[in-house]
Amino acid sequence: MIHLNEVSKQFAGKKQVTALDNLSLHVPKGEMTSIVGPSGSGKSTLLNLIGGLDKPTSGTITLDGTRLDQVSDDDLTRVRRDKIGFIFQFFHLLPTLTCLQNVALPLHLRGWSQAKCDERARELLDLVRLEKRLTHLPDELSGGERQRVAIARALSVYPPVLLADEPTGNLDSATGAEILRLICDLHARLNATILVVTHDAAVARSCQRGIRLCDGRIVEDIRQ
Amino acid sequence: MMLFRLLTLPYVRKHKLRTALTVAGVALGVIIFVAMRTANDSVLYGFQKTVDRITGKAQLQITSGDGGFPEEILERAQAVPEVEVAVPVIEANAGTGKQGQGNLFILAVDMTGDRSLRDYDLESGEEAVIDDPLVFLAQPDSIMITREYAAQNGITSGSKIALETMQGRKQFTVRGIMKPGGLAGAFGGNLAIMDIYAAQNVFGRGRTFDRIDLSLKPGVSIDQGRAAVERALGNGLDVETPASRGKQFESITKIFSIGATLNSLFALLIGLFIIYNTFAVAVAQRRPEIGVLRSLGATRRQVRGLLLIESVVLGIAGSAIGIVLGLAMARGMARYIGTYISDLYGLAQHTEEITADPFTLSMAFAAGLVTSVIAACIPAQKAAQVDPVSALRKGSHESFQESESRKRILGAFTFASIALIFWFWGGKSGFRLLTGYLSVVAAAVLLTPAFVRLLVRWMRPVLRLILPVEGALAADSLMQAPKRTSATVAALMLSISLVIGLGGVANASYASITDWMNAAINPDLFVGPSEQISERSFRFSASLGDEMRAMDFVEEVQSVRTTRVRFDSTLVMVVATDMESLSRRAHPKVIAGDARAMFRDAAAGKAVILADNLAMMHNLKLGDTVEIPSPAGILKLPVAGIILDYSDQQGALLMDRTLYIRNWGDDTVNVFRVYLKHGVAPEAGKRGILEKLGDRSRLFVMTNAQVRAYITKVIDQWFGLTYMQIFVAVLVAVLGIVNSLTVSITDRRRELGVLQAVGGLRRQVRQAIWMEAAGIGAVSILLGLALGAIILAYYLGVIRDEVAGIRLEYTYPFGIAALMIPFMMAVAWASALGPGESAVRASLVEALEYE
Repeated sequence: MIHLNEVSKQFAGKKQVTALDNLSLHVPKGEMTSIVGPSGSGKSTLLNLIGGLDKPTSGTITLDGTRLDQVSDDDLTRVRRDKIGFIFQFFHLLPTLTCLQNVALPLHLRGWSQAKCDERARELLDLVRLEKRLTHLPDELSGGERQRVAIARALSVYPPVLLADEPTGNLDSATGAEILRLICDLHARLNATILVVTHDAAVARSCQRGIRLCDGRIVEDIRQ
Repeated sequence: MMLFRLLTLPYVRKHKLRTALTVAGVALGVIIFVAMRTANDSVLYGFQKTVDRITGKAQLQITSGDGGFPEEILERAQAVPEVEVAVPVIEANAGTGKQGQGNLFILAVDMTGDRSLRDYDLESGEEAVIDDPLVFLAQPDSIMITREYAAQNGITSGSKIALETMQGRKQFTVRGIMKPGGLAGAFGGNLAIMDIYAAQNVFGRGRTFDRIDLSLKPGVSIDQGRAAVERALGNGLDVETPASRGKQFESITKIFSIGATLNSLFALLIGLFIIYNTFAVAVAQRRPEIGVLRSLGATRRQVRGLLLIESVVLGIAGSAIGIVLGLAMARGMARYIGTYISDLYGLAQHTEEITADPFTLSMAFAAGLVTSVIAACIPAQKAAQVDPVSALRKGSHESFQESESRKRILGAFTFASIALIFWFWGGKSGFRLLTGYLSVVAAAVLLTPAFVRLLVRWMRPVLRLILPVEGALAADSLMQAPKRTSATVAALMLSISLVIGLGGVANASYASITDWMNAAINPDLFVGPSEQISERSFRFSASLGDEMRAMDFVEEVQSVRTTRVRFDSTLVMVVATDMESLSRRAHPKVIAGDARAMFRDAAAGKAVILADNLAMMHNLKLGDTVEIPSPAGILKLPVAGIILDYSDQQGALLMDRTLYIRNWGDDTVNVFRVYLKHGVAPEAGKRGILEKLGDRSRLFVMTNAQVRAYITKVIDQWFGLTYMQIFVAVLVAVLGIVNSLTVSITDRRRELGVLQAVGGLRRQVRQAIWMEAAGIGAVSILLGLALGAIILAYYLGVIRDEVAGIRLEYTYPFGIAALMIPFMMAVAWASALGPGESAVRASLVEALEYE
């Protein structure tokens, strides 16, 4: 499903920083993988590259048969829209939109009708047990609820790949556990390929595969 | 200050464009204020300086408006015991006929007595000319010029120069060249001295003088001297100090001043919204930073102070830039105003330098600073109220509370009520209009958020119809960020309403003046001594009219003498003509009185007819008695009628020619209005007159169409400054929308990043931004056009009651409104191009991390 071949990423600045160093990785379809490592090890950079938010300095990335390093910006956006769902640590919900509107946003961008968008968004909010918060603004929700809205949004097009960057990092442990259960449940029901960047040992333990990064390289790759 | 250095400067460095646009918001208002006020002051100062230079040591001056008076007044003045010297003066503006040299201002004096008042500092070796005035007087073609003029034109003593006179182009011999400075410095050196009796002849003044300059005997105070002269001459003549002549000029420049002040205030008000918007967004954006500050122990006062210091710095920068650019702009405007006044009022004017009045500059600086601080007050207060805990939470945003909306609507209702009360029951004071005007603007601004929500809600389906996804995103963004949208819309709405107001005044003026021209300007030909109808340096003898009457193709000739007289401390125009003939030929719109009766009484010399603007400005009604100063004494006559007449901005007073001749002792003529016999083409009539009289006297024959074109040109000149102000209003509008969109897009960088991360194509994001801009443009246009309709009513009120007494008919400028719609939409779209493009091309990773 996801294939990285000798991928490097350098950031130019006063001093050049190598975030990923000649990294190769293969993630088969339906696998739930955790990526752990100390701060600055390249976890988020790896996720951004797989998600098409950024481009590698060298190497190739293939997602579901598409070479991400070779497509145009708009095609990359289409890949993101149709094949990838993002869950961010800080939720990144649009503060001016209600829960329903936030979840329906990717569907709108696909050009779906209002009725179809609303129907799917309701369905997903039902799935994450927020059916009573449809018209609430993000400000009016707790941290856990916001993350659940973000998950619903990530699932809006039922993408084959779900990328989560510290999904529990901004939540208390009880809420974090609840979100983790939800992700595992979705994985089981939807058979999505999931990559989770985390510092949380519980999250890492719950994944089928664990990858540890250090200084931009894979130092450990364990299947549980 | 430490906080300012640590927190503000890095923020400013990071948001350079936004800071620059905010500073420009302050600067524009200051520019208009400084430029217009300084230009006015400079024109006034230039006039006063010229008066000082050419009056020399004269302590008092005797005048009769600008019409002059008979020679015998001089003997009576000289006989006053308190008077030491009394010398006559004639002033005229004579063309040299040479390209680029301008006119020469002719100061004609009696050389035998004048040296005791004026110092003619001549080049060495030429003193003999003045030491023995007879040398000068014996030769009527003698003229003295300044060294500056001589050097510019390669003239030496003994050279001949040609001047336009009533006897055509006439050669004069230079018999003296004055050294620079003093008298020779007036009019930038474009000055010539000649003998007064020669001037009477060549400028068609007959046996009259324009003015007498006086000096008093030692020990006699100005007041004593004035009282003695007034006793001896009667009260029909003005006896004033030279300095007070400048005051008469003030009433003319006041028209420019009021408009400029009003418009610069408006520009500052628009700037206020731009600054408010910037600060409001900056506070929202820096909430986490403020939260950190508060949690580290910063007091509310320190946070508020930090924001206010920022506003002070921006205000100082904007004011300083505005002052510098305003002064630079004032030079061109002073030249423009000077030329306009010179053309229209026949007052020779030469604005040599810009006078930067410290009071004007201080006012401008304070206005810019205060605007900036006021605009920052509410955001600063909000910043001070930030709760550290909630500020450190991400993703929070601001919206209007219900109670806030209610307060706004209540405030708007209060202001609207004040405006209505003052409009209907406020009396006639200027305070009434100003209060009403400001109340309307305040009400409109307070209602903007409510209107924005309503209009965007209505607009949402339309936007969706155009582009379903992008339209919905744009409408939602506008609706759900009401503060950001409202401030932008308010700034644009004010700009558009200003354009409608000013444009409406221009349209109404053209329409009213065209109506007046159709009714009053109906002779076939106008015969004058200059291409400019307002020129009064030259006059014809009355006999020229008789010669034209005798021509077989001429049916009727009206002799018109126009002059200015002091009336309630302003100079108004007296139009003296054959009233019986006028009543048959012209059909002016009557405002008060019976047309037949008023012309009958005026023709009999028993009454005068007033122009409507004169009646309005001086609060005169039908039947009131007016007191008109004339050389024969104060003329007290009833007002027989009030008509619509735009002969003069200061107001005109129509009387019969015989009455004028009797009281002013002057039968000269400025313009002949000629009606041709049926079937005679105007061009044929013009040729006929020029063939018979052209070689005998300096005369210009203009057809009706040419005169109308001349009047239209003068109105164009008058509105030239208005158009410039409209341009600035539009510029402020453009600045407002660019600023708002830049601020708005920067503020939503993460939001736009999320949009792209979840699948928004560049095209979609770009078009959503464009549609958002179009939405702001459309709402602003609707509100601006509506507010403009009310603003126009106030402008017409100010013109009627405060500026010129002119009753302009209210007509909404639909043409201008129709032009504004595509223009503002295009501006809105163009303003969104840059920010939109930078938003879609920014790094997604950076955008998602942006706070």
